Amino acid sequence: MDRLLAIKDLHVGFRIFEGQLRVLNGVCLDVKEGERVGLVGETGCGKTTTVKAVLRVLPTPPARITGGEIIYNGQDILKMTRRQMTMLRRHELTAIFQDPLQSLNPVFTIGTQLRDIVRDSAIGRGQRLSRREVEARCLSALHETGMPDPERIMTNYPVQLSGGMRQRICIAEALSTNANLLLADEPTTNLDVTIQDQILRKLDELVEEKGASVVMITHSMGVVRDLTQRVNIMYAGSIVEMAKTRDLLERPKHPYTQGLMASVPKLTGEGVSEGIPGRIPNYLDPPPGCRFHPRCEHRMEICEMTAPPFFETGDEHQVACYLYGGKT
Amino acid sequence: MTQTSILTVDRLVKHFPTKAGTVRAVDDIAFDIATGDTLGLVGESGSGKTTTAQCVLGIYPPTSGDIVFEGATIGVMFNRRSKELKRKIRIVFQDPGSSLNPKRTIKQILSVPLRVHGIGTDRERLTTMSRLLEMVELPPADYLYKYPQAIGGGEKQMVAIARALATNPRFIVLDEPTSALDVSVQGKIINLLMRLAKELNLTYLFITHDLSLMRNVATRVAIMYLGKLCEIARTEEFFRSPMHPYTNMLLSSIPVVTEQEESLKPKKIVSQGEIPSPVNIPPGCSFHLRCPERLPICSEVDPEMAIQEDGRVVRCHLFPAR
Repeated sequence: MDRLLAIKDLHVGFRIFEGQLRVLNGVCLDVKEGERVGLVGETGCGKTTTVKAVLRVLPTPPARITGGEIIYNGQDILKMTRRQMTMLRRHELTAIFQDPLQSLNPVFTIGTQLRDIVRDSAIGRGQRLSRREVEARCLSALHETGMPDPERIMTNYPVQLSGGMRQRICIAEALSTNANLLLADEPTTNLDVTIQDQILRKLDELVEEKGASVVMITHSMGVVRDLTQRVNIMYAGSIVEMAKTRDLLERPKHPYTQGLMASVPKLTGEGVSEGIPGRIPNYLDPPPGCRFHPRCEHRMEICEMTAPPFFETGDEHQVACYLYGGKT
Repeated sequence: MTQTSILTVDRLVKHFPTKAGTVRAVDDIAFDIATGDTLGLVGESGSGKTTTAQCVLGIYPPTSGDIVFEGATIGVMFNRRSKELKRKIRIVFQDPGSSLNPKRTIKQILSVPLRVHGIGTDRERLTTMSRLLEMVELPPADYLYKYPQAIGGGEKQMVAIARALATNPRFIVLDEPTSALDVSVQGKIINLLMRLAKELNLTYLFITHDLSLMRNVATRVAIMYLGKLCEIARTEEFFRSPMHPYTNMLLSSIPVVTEQEESLKPKKIVSQGEIPSPVNIPPGCSFHLRCPERLPICSEVDPEMAIQEDGRVVRCHLFPAR
């Protein structure tokens, strides 16, 4: 399988009054063609910043990409011109964000917004669609997401729909572009479990059908288990562990991943673990070395000095922790 | 069971009249909580969990129905309740970021309930406050003079818990105390709450939408859907064999982490349909539009709460009263 997206050593900072927030600290992420990759981390660990950097929609300033490369299909996204970027967004990359109320424009009908997307993504592919073709594609996109009565929905405004319906609209919009890479940024965090189940199932089916690659961003281990093949665990602006999803859930290696897995309440009812002591570091003055060391129970001297590189622990399982570094 | 129950809610109804029609937020529910128990009230957004809790607290007066606390009817607004009653029933809200005043130090925040209820003299209060903070595992010297914004989300929630404990309550309503927090801090809060319940003989009404969490904390579970209860059962029995079709759908929708858990879920019931608006509840059973096992009667007659052989209560035509 070819590599579709490769993020290499990405550093992003935010300039604020108090100084420089060093948020992303060398993020590395690979997505192969047709693959579904999970990106898991807690609030404030830089998941959304990573996605926004890939789409180049970070507000700069205050944000500043201070290093690294984002290679998409052999080209560096960070070096593209504005025009190239627009073309890329038209039909190569697409995203679903957490809050559909923020990603849908409240003053236009669903129809207006969806028609624009369908028309522009076709232009990106060098086609010009007639009004009737646009209309037909919009209706079929809505229909695919299991929406009842698409004709009526097209004339509705976002406020007239429920949360689950709005998120379906976002999915319809994202998938109607036939993009190669879908960045789903916590698409179901705001929804109830029964609705979440429906939406994820639908998303899964549609992605399967269109053969797109997905980066699924979430803080729920359960969602990742159902939907992805590989998973990356992120902590305080860097990836700490990457592995095949099943492998990682059964044998977490990094102390942070282990703590996280133990903290998830289980249906088996063996009680809740104490969680991980401490909290995510302040990005103004992050701890040197491994950013997890102040909260880690296995910390060693070296952890406080230099950040660990990735160590291979078998079967594509990589951990950024000196515990697995061998004795060299 | 009635002699030991601390709180009994009977045929509680709370309607909100709006321009679009009456919102039937809570529609005829009944449950009781035994002293020292934790009742988990689970439901999706808009199912009326919080309204139920707010009626218990007196934030809203109920439209009809009784709320009985320690043998006395308390179904009135909080401003007509005795101070003694308000001392005994306390609440911890979902988001500590908005329930703690950002312009007050933790000492000031904790002193309010003590002053209002006239507990101790000024000097004694300082020791009481230190003791409260120690109870929630925060070193008082480090935290008393801090402002809420200077501490993390989990710590803020602990301060909110300390504030609820300040008046030495008997009963605490926990309104999604950990939904705003990350899982790695959730564990600490939950364990703290469970320890306090044992030490201080507290009774909790624990509101949440997280069934996996309920499995680990509640002694009994009540499932709400559109203002009505679907099922009340003891936790182990409930998770071993859920009865109501909605409960089955809910359980099979939870994303889980291990194989072992997967085997505990009921066989896949495909979730379908949307939650109807509470202004416009379908006739008959409110769940019948989404129900995979609906009978002809479901669209006409609303089922009654029926007590089953093993003592659990289910509201469904599939399980008539014995």
